[in-house]
Amino acid sequence: MKLTFTVEDEAFRAEIAQWLRTNLTGEFAALKFRGGPGDEHMFTAERQRWEKRLAAGGWTGIGWPLKHGGRGCSIEQQVIFHEEYARAGAPGRVGHIGEGLVGPTLIAFADPEQQAKYLPAILAGTDLWCQGYSEPGAGSDLANVKTRARRENADNTWRINGQKVWTSLAHESDWCFVLARTDSESVGHKGLGFFLVSMHQPGVTVRPIEQLTGTSEFNEVFFDDAVAADLIGEPGDGWKIAMALLGFERGVSTLGQQMQFQNELDEIVRIAKSNGAARDPLLRQRIAEAHIGLRLMRYNAMRMLSHTSTESGPEALVYKLHWSSWHRNLGALAMDVLGPEAEILESGPYNLTRLQSLFLFTRSDTIYGGTSQIQRNIIAERGLGMPKEAKGNLR
Amino acid sequence: MDFTFTEDQLAFREAISRFLMTEAPPELLRDIWDTEEGRSPELRAKISEQGLTALSVPEAQGGLGMGDITWALLTQELGYYAIPDSLADTAFVATGLLSALPEGTRMREELLSRIAEGSVRIAVGHSVNPLVADVHLADVVLQEHQGEVHALCRDNIGFERNPSIDSSRRLSRISFEPSDATRLVGSEQGRAVWAQTLNRGALAVAGQSLGLAQRMLDLSVDYVTQRKQFGKPIGSFQAVKHKLADVASKIEFAKPVLYHAAHALAHGDAQANLNVSHAKLACCEAAWLAARNGIQVHGAMGYTWEVDLQMFMKRAWALDSAWGDRAFHNSRVAETLLADTAQIGPSFTFGALQND
Ligand SMILES: Cc1cc2nc3c(=O)[nH]c(=O)nc-3n(C[C@H](O)[C@H](O)[C@H](O)COP(=O)(O)OP(=O)(O)OC[C@H]3O[C@@H](n4cnc5c(N)ncnc54)[C@H](O)[C@@H]3O)c2cc1C
Repeated sequence: MKLTFTVEDEAFRAEIAQWLRTNLTGEFAALKFRGGPGDEHMFTAERQRWEKRLAAGGWTGIGWPLKHGGRGCSIEQQVIFHEEYARAGAPGRVGHIGEGLVGPTLIAFADPEQQAKYLPAILAGTDLWCQGYSEPGAGSDLANVKTRARRENADNTWRINGQKVWTSLAHESDWCFVLARTDSESVGHKGLGFFLVSMHQPGVTVRPIEQLTGTSEFNEVFFDDAVAADLIGEPGDGWKIAMALLGFERGVSTLGQQMQFQNELDEIVRIAKSNGAARDPLLRQRIAEAHIGLRLMRYNAMRMLSHTSTESGPEALVYKLHWSSWHRNLGALAMDVLGPEAEILESGPYNLTRLQSLFLFTRSDTIYGGTSQIQRNIIAERGLGMPKEAKGNLR
Repeated sequence: MDFTFTEDQLAFREAISRFLMTEAPPELLRDIWDTEEGRSPELRAKISEQGLTALSVPEAQGGLGMGDITWALLTQELGYYAIPDSLADTAFVATGLLSALPEGTRMREELLSRIAEGSVRIAVGHSVNPLVADVHLADVVLQEHQGEVHALCRDNIGFERNPSIDSSRRLSRISFEPSDATRLVGSEQGRAVWAQTLNRGALAVAGQSLGLAQRMLDLSVDYVTQRKQFGKPIGSFQAVKHKLADVASKIEFAKPVLYHAAHALAHGDAQANLNVSHAKLACCEAAWLAARNGIQVHGAMGYTWEVDLQMFMKRAWALDSAWGDRAFHNSRVAETLLADTAQIGPSFTFGALQND
């Protein structure tokens, strides 16, 4: 066990803090504390320019291996990076799906040619990605995807037909990774492929879905004989790769998320002190509980990251359930601290205040990325080895 | 002790429920909320024809002379169908306030008759609410000012609109100059009237919240029965069933609390504050849980604008802190119980019910 940072680590901290101080200025100053959860649809063009600035400074893919263009930073340094990033109020990363999910997946499963084709543009902050998993009939039951991939005999290209739904930021993305059925006779986990599909082609139609926030961060995506640029791995490997990608979701980037959570909690505490809510005994206790919950989250994440092998321990199984429930409660706490003022919008017709966005967005935390019920099933079945609930007829 | 309602009360509820089901479907409400005023004079007129605005106006002013107890049923219907709150403000809260003023008070009889015939909109301004609902259309605002009751007409007020997270709520911050001309009664009489009005406002919210909870529960039960995952209706998974069973329990436990509070208010019980705060807390808690579990069992669908659930959730969230937020009502309960003069012990806690 080693819970402190080395001298080199502290030098690294000074370096990133200094870089942020000099770069998060000028046109980027307005992005401070923007683009986080519930605010992801805002300033996307500016944030994409910021992504390129980060890239130019060598601050993208810092945890990727050197040979893939990353910085090869240790876990400790990645932690430090995220701490400083959040402390400076640097904006939500438009490139996080590419950097945090696609990159590590391609490094693990793609061939060198494919890696050379996609990784540089992710690092450069030029290509943005979206996740094409869920379908109308495949939410919690992701293995029920019906989107089909068919190989064209003439030139061996794969063509995709079907519909995805709830695809976050599809309207801003250049690429989508799509889970599709390579074997039309198959059911469940078998016969799936993991495809990379350009969003800029006639066979792809993106239709925004309005959320209860009044904004549209997610979309329906229709594939109509769309060309898949690449299949990663073999036909039939789709499920394995799709699951591995979700594993990366629990990686270091969650530390950055925690720092944002800390910023949110700090803001709530600030308001509670100024409007008198901090004198209310029930709210005081909930603020204290929120603080404790966030510490738990942080310790658990650090422990999760200290695993050297790729095998994750039981702490990984409980993580999503904990942070999503915690964050959902934080949203409610924000509203209660505001009291009767909580319902008042920033301005008409439907511009939410930051804390309202937080509140509404956190209603979805326990749904996306595996609902809380599914998380508990995973803890019980995979973690505790309990028998599975019977499935119905899958056809 | 008897928690049953009269046949008249139940029949009235049934009639209003059937009427609102056909006349105020969610699609229509959404259309209305998209308009600048956010209200439909036609719908309001139809509701008056049903007798809803006359319900608790005294018979002398052309009303039906029913009261708080019947409203405990009807506010649930208003919540269930997400009827904008201005109706309850006029027909329930303002009517109760005016009726409580001494007979012969200026404007009292005139306003009550007009409420009964459905020709007036009244907003109610109390310092517990930073904003006042439906001022933009109100003919009269009954406003609290240092315990006095003022009746403000359009000429006497300035207001600035403040949109709410629930698009159906039309709130404004108002400014006004109190004067002898606007004062209906002074603070000596006014304080008691306002104390009762605060309770009535809180009870109106409690009833609506309970109706909202029931609606969210019904929508959710429908959804989980239709939606399939893993080859089964998701409602067949225990994790989903239990979420909704918990909501049903909260609703059932909140009902008698609401009814008891309405009874206490109607009879001027000494414990009315305690009962009303309890009702507000219990009903709002049911609505909160219904929203939380309702959206959870809807999955991503529940997070969309298009699915009606959001209309009911947002109303519940907004009403949660209207007429006293949770902290306010919790501390009222605590103050009553911890007061030096408080009676404690089983004969107080349980006996009060039996004496009714
Ligand atoms: C804001 C947001 C962003 C999203 N972004 C993306 C994206 O970018 N890409 C993408 O592919 N998807 C995305 N999703 C979709 C998300 O992954 C799904 O919503 C999620 O997997 C749940 O599926 P569902 O919505 O179909 O709900 P359903 O699966 O229909 O679930 C409804 C309810 O049933 C419960 N349930 C289902 N099965 C069981 C079971 N076996 N046992 C117990 N309970 C069960 C669930 O827990 C839930 O409460 C996003 C969703 C949201 C809300």
